[in-house]
Amino acid sequence: MSGADDNGFAAFVAARGTSLLRVAYLACGDEKEAEDLLQTALERTYRNWDRVRYDNPEPYLRRIIVNASISRARRRAIMRVIPMHTPPESAARETDVDLRHLLMDTLRALPPRQRAVVVLRYWEDLSEAQTAEILGCSTGTVKSQASKALAKLRAAIVPEAAEGVIGNVHV
Amino acid sequence: MSTSESDLRAPEDGLRQIMADQVARLHAPPDLLDRVLRAARRRRANRIRLTALAVAVAVAGTVTSLSLTLGPGDPAVRGPEPAARITVPGMPPPSATAEAVPEPPAVDDSGPPPAPERTDLGDLGDGRVFGSLRVGYLPAGLRWSTWSLVRGDSYTTSWNYDGDENGAYCVQIHVYEGRTVQGVDERVREYRERGTGKEVAVGGRTTAYLITQSAGEDGTRGTPSIFLSVGEGRRVEVTFSSVYAADLDDPEKVDRELKKIAVALTAEG
Repeated sequence: MSGADDNGFAAFVAARGTSLLRVAYLACGDEKEAEDLLQTALERTYRNWDRVRYDNPEPYLRRIIVNASISRARRRAIMRVIPMHTPPESAARETDVDLRHLLMDTLRALPPRQRAVVVLRYWEDLSEAQTAEILGCSTGTVKSQASKALAKLRAAIVPEAAEGVIGNVHV
Repeated sequence: MSTSESDLRAPEDGLRQIMADQVARLHAPPDLLDRVLRAARRRRANRIRLTALAVAVAVAGTVTSLSLTLGPGDPAVRGPEPAARITVPGMPPPSATAEAVPEPPAVDDSGPPPAPERTDLGDLGDGRVFGSLRVGYLPAGLRWSTWSLVRGDSYTTSWNYDGDENGAYCVQIHVYEGRTVQGVDERVREYRERGTGKEVAVGGRTTAYLITQSAGEDGTRGTPSIFLSVGEGRRVEVTFSSVYAADLDDPEKVDRELKKIAVALTAEG
């Protein structure tokens, strides 16, 4: 890679590093792992920078980050018999802070693919089609995964209304 | 920003704000690029080493299997007869095996590794002089982060509130010299073509290019930067972090401070 390419890559990392780190964190739920995911994704991007730089490299990186976080979570799930995290059965709802923590805990506890859908749809503001493209699935799958994820989030907040709400969730 | 319970009753509505709250404190580590480049170099070196090893194993394997199939006396295994065999009186002739099976190429015969390339600028005191640049002005309340990075012909250092190497940067200055000048010139040209920023006069004598990069998700203003030449064959980029730009709380003040830093930059030595 030439010096000019190196500088272009450096500029990209400087400009978008934080934004991509945040996507990685939301996708995996752990700060250290998010840094590792981002570094791995950037290494792959650097190797292919000659090809990637002419398009917008960010979607390429996002795809690597999200898919790597899903596959890591799956590997962990296979290796661990005990689930990574279980949301509390009853929600402590005394303050907004409790609710926010509860919602983030529930987000972290979502299956990796559902979590990825939530991050891409509601954090990155991607369309169903864009989300489907990144995850390599149909828009129907994105819809159903988003619907299930939102139902779980809603149920965590309003457990007593869960059954009724699940049926009314629309995305 | 707080999120009310009513917001949270519709998760999709409140979720974005909650996620924004969660990630607001996260910033890419200052040495991220350095780590990526080092890992890429390490991986490339390993690949070369493994390829050499694979070639050596393949060569040895081919000769061994030929030897088993054809017999060690076959010319295909022995190779061409030497034109003249040199014998040294008193020394035994070289063995057949030694002739038939070439030594595998050395995997790593490059001798002791070279001294590690310097990757930082060492102790810079208050950081006001680094490499061939003197920083005559910095906004009040900033301390040298003690972090710096040398990358070929370019080098950089930063300042933040607490002078902590691991703290998030507020101001970062990159200096480009030698071969890296072309890259930064190309980048500025692209910004110009896209109309990302504007030409500004710095101190009435120098022209600089001032930009505000794309906004961050958390509502901060990206990383405002100013590019200028300081001395012959040297380009300087001064960047504010998005958080620091937000702390200044006034886009005009951000531009003003960037220009004040630029005006006071001088070549050292």
